[in-house]
Amino acid sequence: MTSANGKAIDRRAFLAGTAAFAALGLSGMGRAAAQEFSIGQAAVAATPDGPLRWLDTGDQKALFFKAFFEQYKKARGIDVVYDALPWAEVATVVPLAVRNGTAHDAFVLPLGMPPAFAVSEGWVQPLDDLIPDIETWKAGFPAGTFLEGLNVFDGKTYGLTYTSNRFTSAHVLYNRKYLNDAGFDPEATPLNWDTFREAARKVTENGAGRAYGFILGGAQVNRWGDTVRTLAQMAGGASGDTSIATGIDFRTGEVVYASDAFVGAVELLLALKADGSVFPGDLGINAPQARAMMPQGVAGIILQGPWNIPQWESQNPDFDFGVGPPPAPAGQAPGHVIVGSVGSVANSMFINAKAKNPLFAADVFHYLGTEQGQIEWGNVVGPADAPVFPSAATGSKMSDRSKAALAMLQDVVRVGPNPFARNPRLAEVAKLYKEPTPNLAQTVQGLFSGQISGVKEQLTALTSATNMALDAAFKSAKDAGFEVSRDDFVFANWQPERDYLEADYKAL
Amino acid sequence: MRSDAVEKDRGGLPALSPRVKRMLVSIVLAALCAIWVYPLIWMLFASLRPNAMIFADEGLIPSQPTLENYARAWTEANMGSYFFNTLFVTVGSVILVTIATAMMGYVLGRSSFPGRAALFGLLVFTLFVPQGYTIIPIFELLSSLGLGQSLLGVMLATTAGSFVIFVLLFAGYFSQMPDELEEAARMDGVGFVKTFWFVMLPLSKPIIVTVIVMQTLYAWNDFLLPLVITLANPSIRTLSVGVYAFKGENFIDWGGMMAASAITIIPVVILFLLLQRYFIDGLAGAVKG
Amino acid sequence: MAQTFTAHAVFLDRVWTHWKEYLFLVPGMLIFGTFIIYPMLASQYYSLLQWTGFDSNQVFIGFDNYVALLGDSFFWDAFLRSFVFTAITVPAQLLISLIIAIVLNDRLLRLSALFRTLIFLPVVTPVAVIGIVMAIMLSPFNGPVNIALLDAGFVTRALDFLGDPNLVLPTLAAIYVWKWTGVTMVYWLAALQTVPRELFEAARLDGVRGWQVAVFIILPMIMPFAIVITLISAISALNVFPLIQAMTQGGPFFASEVMEVFIFRTAFAPGGGAVPQLGYASAAGVFFGVAIMVLTILQIVATRHLRSVERSRAV
Repeated sequence: MTSANGKAIDRRAFLAGTAAFAALGLSGMGRAAAQEFSIGQAAVAATPDGPLRWLDTGDQKALFFKAFFEQYKKARGIDVVYDALPWAEVATVVPLAVRNGTAHDAFVLPLGMPPAFAVSEGWVQPLDDLIPDIETWKAGFPAGTFLEGLNVFDGKTYGLTYTSNRFTSAHVLYNRKYLNDAGFDPEATPLNWDTFREAARKVTENGAGRAYGFILGGAQVNRWGDTVRTLAQMAGGASGDTSIATGIDFRTGEVVYASDAFVGAVELLLALKADGSVFPGDLGINAPQARAMMPQGVAGIILQGPWNIPQWESQNPDFDFGVGPPPAPAGQAPGHVIVGSVGSVANSMFINAKAKNPLFAADVFHYLGTEQGQIEWGNVVGPADAPVFPSAATGSKMSDRSKAALAMLQDVVRVGPNPFARNPRLAEVAKLYKEPTPNLAQTVQGLFSGQISGVKEQLTALTSATNMALDAAFKSAKDAGFEVSRDDFVFANWQPERDYLEADYKAL
Repeated sequence: MRSDAVEKDRGGLPALSPRVKRMLVSIVLAALCAIWVYPLIWMLFASLRPNAMIFADEGLIPSQPTLENYARAWTEANMGSYFFNTLFVTVGSVILVTIATAMMGYVLGRSSFPGRAALFGLLVFTLFVPQGYTIIPIFELLSSLGLGQSLLGVMLATTAGSFVIFVLLFAGYFSQMPDELEEAARMDGVGFVKTFWFVMLPLSKPIIVTVIVMQTLYAWNDFLLPLVITLANPSIRTLSVGVYAFKGENFIDWGGMMAASAITIIPVVILFLLLQRYFIDGLAGAVKG
Repeated sequence: MAQTFTAHAVFLDRVWTHWKEYLFLVPGMLIFGTFIIYPMLASQYYSLLQWTGFDSNQVFIGFDNYVALLGDSFFWDAFLRSFVFTAITVPAQLLISLIIAIVLNDRLLRLSALFRTLIFLPVVTPVAVIGIVMAIMLSPFNGPVNIALLDAGFVTRALDFLGDPNLVLPTLAAIYVWKWTGVTMVYWLAALQTVPRELFEAARLDGVRGWQVAVFIILPMIMPFAIVITLISAISALNVFPLIQAMTQGGPFFASEVMEVFIFRTAFAPGGGAVPQLGYASAAGVFFGVAIMVLTILQIVATRHLRSVERSRAV
């Protein structure tokens, strides 16, 4: 009947549509289409069972995969379905699909879900039997990419951690003309908290109502947390960024939200507001909107991530902007932004335990974990979700500005300890942890909007609420018979200015 | 009968002819409507701007108009192919919902069968309980029925969208119908089913049309459930799922999104235009003095 | 004994005489039971669990979630905000749409079809797009609304509609009314069809002016219908979600966090820092539903009272 007919038409139209995908894209498609991918021969021969299905959160990654899979299809003779969904949908869709047996062959895990969890739930399968000579392959990755408790469990490797975690979502991106007119050159002298504030004030003054010093996108609550954490870490408030370890100083195992570094960071934002330097209506726009406003010349500085660079370069080629590190307080050595792992755990891909085409998924995994694959990845995605191989970051073709940004991030970001790598059973605590309300991001937004007051008091209250919530989760996990303790947060041999790697765990 | 000729305004205000009055009303309405739809006109013009210019402060009319967004919307969101899937889901659910809610509303509105009050209470109660996260049980139910991966499953689940509201609308409408209609039918020996089908249902056109429009709107835009069900089989996806291609985690393709929205709302607007004469063509005239 | 038996028989007899009615309910009940009642019962069961929603580890904890809710001030704030939001939107929406409907219910008004369509347009426009467009319309930085207000001299400084904690909820309410008035208008138009056209015309001939027609003749006639429409509007307003999520995520600092936003925040933990608590979110939903149901029952009782008064007057 009609529906059957419709489907037949559909299928053809769909294939045509997918082909058209390659020709058009979000942005910068010219570069992606020009990229020839060195797919080579499959390490293990396999026959397709339906299409290879891949799910991640898209953005700049989509640019790569749409172009790559187009060529991969032809090389391997398998149809490919690539889906990209925002995190909120991943959180709903992936668990349902796994339970129903319709999940993709390769997928990302919901943001709040520790990989240990997916393994113990039996969602995913190890790569060891799928990738030949896996140890050689793993050896190509930078030291510390594969850690027991992160992407390795009971000696088996599960996750493909292929993008770098060395980034912050709150470094300086600025309108070069405005800052230069105001007498600042952040590329020569990075902004510190004082000059940041001063520059924002001057830009606002020069703008005379047409331009303001600073824009953030404050309707998006998480921006407040990320921004303050980054600024505080630059002030020496070194602390974790992963799940239950967020806000923990691993030297002491304590929550540091009430420290001078955090208080100072919030006060800096409040000072910007008091100066009148913040884009009016900032609380009414989200981060993507704020990003889109920058090239319109309405603001001098935005604190966001490196993914803005390829976005602006392709869509707003006339926009003259510069990149700088997150500001640190004047008169002290800048601190470092601490991340929980070498590679991005959020971006890590896993193979469905019931995948129909596990060998093809692993084949793509393998490619993405080779030097050549990493360089080609870097060629397409640029500094957003940059390749995890440092050699690929330097070896791939991207703009000088992008390279400078990656070098800056290399300088600013340090890999800190990851408590899950020390004690994988902490995943049980994470499962039981009920984050306090308001959390850091909400507290900062409330302080900024003036709905609550007293920076020190609020952050102290947040600290004790966080401690209470952590203690409760630890207690429940212990009661359930898991060997966990808040001492798992204490890494006495940690120095924030150095990467904390496998050897350091062993030295504990 | 046209009443213009005889109608007179005895209210004491300057005697304006009805025609002039209607003209004035039209002018006022036109001005108000212009303000009302201004944001949407803005959207329409924005969909003609290149992405880099969406937030540019350059007035309403784009300085560099382009149809690029529409081309991208059409291909990226697979609109051509997903249109038929959406049509199937929409038409199917509209037919099912209209019939089911009309029958239920008719009985609830015109009969006092035992259990009526309880059923009413239950209907209203379910309205109040937030439905946002019922996706899990619905999906598991469909899966156990073997419909977890089929367009039929999407269509069936979509019927629930505004089901209760429609039942209440029908019930309210039928309860307002004059009893004489039914009595006359009964005296003529017309049975229960026939009375409903041939007498009462045709008179409820305004509600039927309302239900058709609202259900179309819902089925056309429903996103999460179609997404989950069609995950494994992209060839059965619907338009709203396809349009999601424009909204990434960090990147939003503003132009594409607006163009896609403009395209997807066109069929609903056409439907509304076609059906709307029935909005003002219900009981009026059915009850002769 | 005998009496109850007879009562029983009478009841069964009544049921039997209505068998056709029950048959009529079957298709509706299938949809209602499968896709509305069952998921609702399921979420009521979830509300008794400690469950993230994504793993197989469901711990039955009885009414602990409800107990926790009672002490959660953010829950109560959201609860209250939902009512405030409803109290602002429903009267405005009902009144505006009723006036529009009465004006546009005139068959002789040319272009009324066009006007109806224009009023209806916001209804069909996706919320994601409305979120972007409205943020621009309302921006304190050269937004058209602020420019108009400044030019007209209503304000001396641009208003931060979405960023000012005192303005954000009324602003969202206004956008909500704008978006959904078209639907209510359609409902009213349908309701007005139960008013015989002859009545309209007769009223006009008698020289009763427009508003008097509306208040004294039309309104009483569509009263029962008005209650259904009010109910529907109130429920939609109480469950408002996508618009607020798209525009403010309930912010700034919870100033616009209504119940559904609270539920979403706890059910899916979209920020990613925490593990979702589907059990807790379900409890919030169920509690909210039951609380409003109590109010609804009061409303139904009132309605029935009103109706019986009306009937006795008619006789």
